[in-house]
Formats: sequence, C-alpha cells, structure tokens
Amino acid sequence: MKLVTCIIRPDKLEAVADALDKQHIVGMTVTDVRGFGRQKGQVEHYRGGEYTIRFIPKVKIDLVVQDQDVETALTTIGKVARTGNIGDGKIFVLDVGNAMRIRTGEKGTSAL
Amino acid sequence: MASTVIDKPSAKDPESVRGDRHDRSSMKMVSCIIRPESLDAVKNAVGQLELVGGMTVSDVRGFGRQKGQVEHYRGGEYLIRFLSKLKIDMAVREEDVDRVMGAISKAAHTGKVGDGKVFVVDLHNVVRIRTGERGAIAL
Repeated sequence: MKLVTCIIRPDKLEAVADALDKQHIVGMTVTDVRGFGRQKGQVEHYRGGEYTIRFIPKVKIDLVVQDQDVETALTTIGKVARTGNIGDGKIFVLDVGNAMRIRTGEKGTSAL
Repeated sequence: MASTVIDKPSAKDPESVRGDRHDRSSMKMVSCIIRPESLDAVKNAVGQLELVGGMTVSDVRGFGRQKGQVEHYRGGEYLIRFLSKLKIDMAVREEDVDRVMGAISKAAHTGKVGDGKVFVVDLHNVVRIRTGERGAIAL
C-alpha cells in the first residue's frame, strides 16, 4: 500500500475527485493547506505597492491505494490538475505499513 | 524487534554532530481519520496507554467507499461529497503500534459507515526542536 499525497490548486479538487472516481479509486482525505514552491509565492500589485504572497492557499489530497493503482492515481491526478502554469502542485508517494477500517476492524489492503 | 539504544555522540555520525542524543528505535506514524465527536474518546483511550507523547489534530474533509451521503432538504436531494472529519497524527514506537491501533478502533467505533480509518506509515526520524534530541527519545 502507498500513501499518495498531492498538493493541488483548490479549484481542481472536484475535477480530481471525479477523475479518480472514474478510475474506481475511491476515498480521499482533503486538507486546506498553504505553501510555496520554487517560485517562493507570487508578487501581487495593490495600489502601487508590491506585495509578496508567500504562502498560497492549496488543497492537499491524501489517498491510500494498493501498489498496482499508484501509477493510475499519479497519471490521473497529473492530467486533471495540470494547467501548465506555475503553481500546479506536486504529488508525493509514501510507503504505508498497515491500514485498518475502524467500523469492522479489517486490516491490510482489505481495509482500503 | 526495536532495541532502545541511546547512541553516544560520535564525530563520525553526521546526525549527531551537535552531540545530541539519538535513539534509533523504529517508529511509525499512526494517522487516523475519525468522526469529530470521537476525538475526546480517542484522546482518553490513547492517553491511558501512556505510550504516545502527543498528537496533532487537523480538520479535514473526505469520503470513503460510500462517496459521501445524500441529504434531504426541502424536498430536494443533495449529495454531500466531502464530510467533515478529524485527522489525528501520532508518532509511536513500532512495538506500540498494535496497542495504539486497538485503542483507537475501540474508542472511535460506532459500527456505522463513516467510522474512519487508521493508516500506519514509516517514520524515519523525529527531532525535538527544543533540545535537538533525535529518534524515539524525541517522541
């Protein structure tokens, strides 16, 4: 099992959820986060002044999937969340040792 | 099988250049998604074990297999896709993972859809920022 964590533009959330649903990847946890990447935020102009907005609001999606579904998740998220502009976000993949469904106590991949 | 060995600071070890203590026991990050109303029960159940030094709670939203729930309001049917949940992150020693998972599942269990999940992820290192301690001693 792998944890696929992606940081995306907030307005891409519904599209990413729909696209993953079509690929039969169901279940996700969404967190409102803020951050910056290589560009270190963006410069905004307001009333003649220049302001750097360092921490830009983003949405983080966490999915736990079986190993064989990682590639599908990566391509699906990558395709839907991409605009081609700076700030599209990133996807990280981490090892998951175990999972448990609290309602039934099922463990391992059957808990996904 | 994790042994609790506190390494002596060694100049050869780049991780202890400051001479900070480094406990190399294996650790796991236990993350659980629960119903918001289960927080107190989980906090108390896990606290009683005295195995977990702290926890981080985040407001999250999400869905699982049922894809959210259908709500009825004034004759209309609405699908609420993202339900409000809490995520709790706890860093624990590997040998304590099963007991912590057991306590969470007992405290957060209602038997109804939406009880949530527990995930266990490898945790490679921990630093207590105040003291510079590393590894399981920093938990």
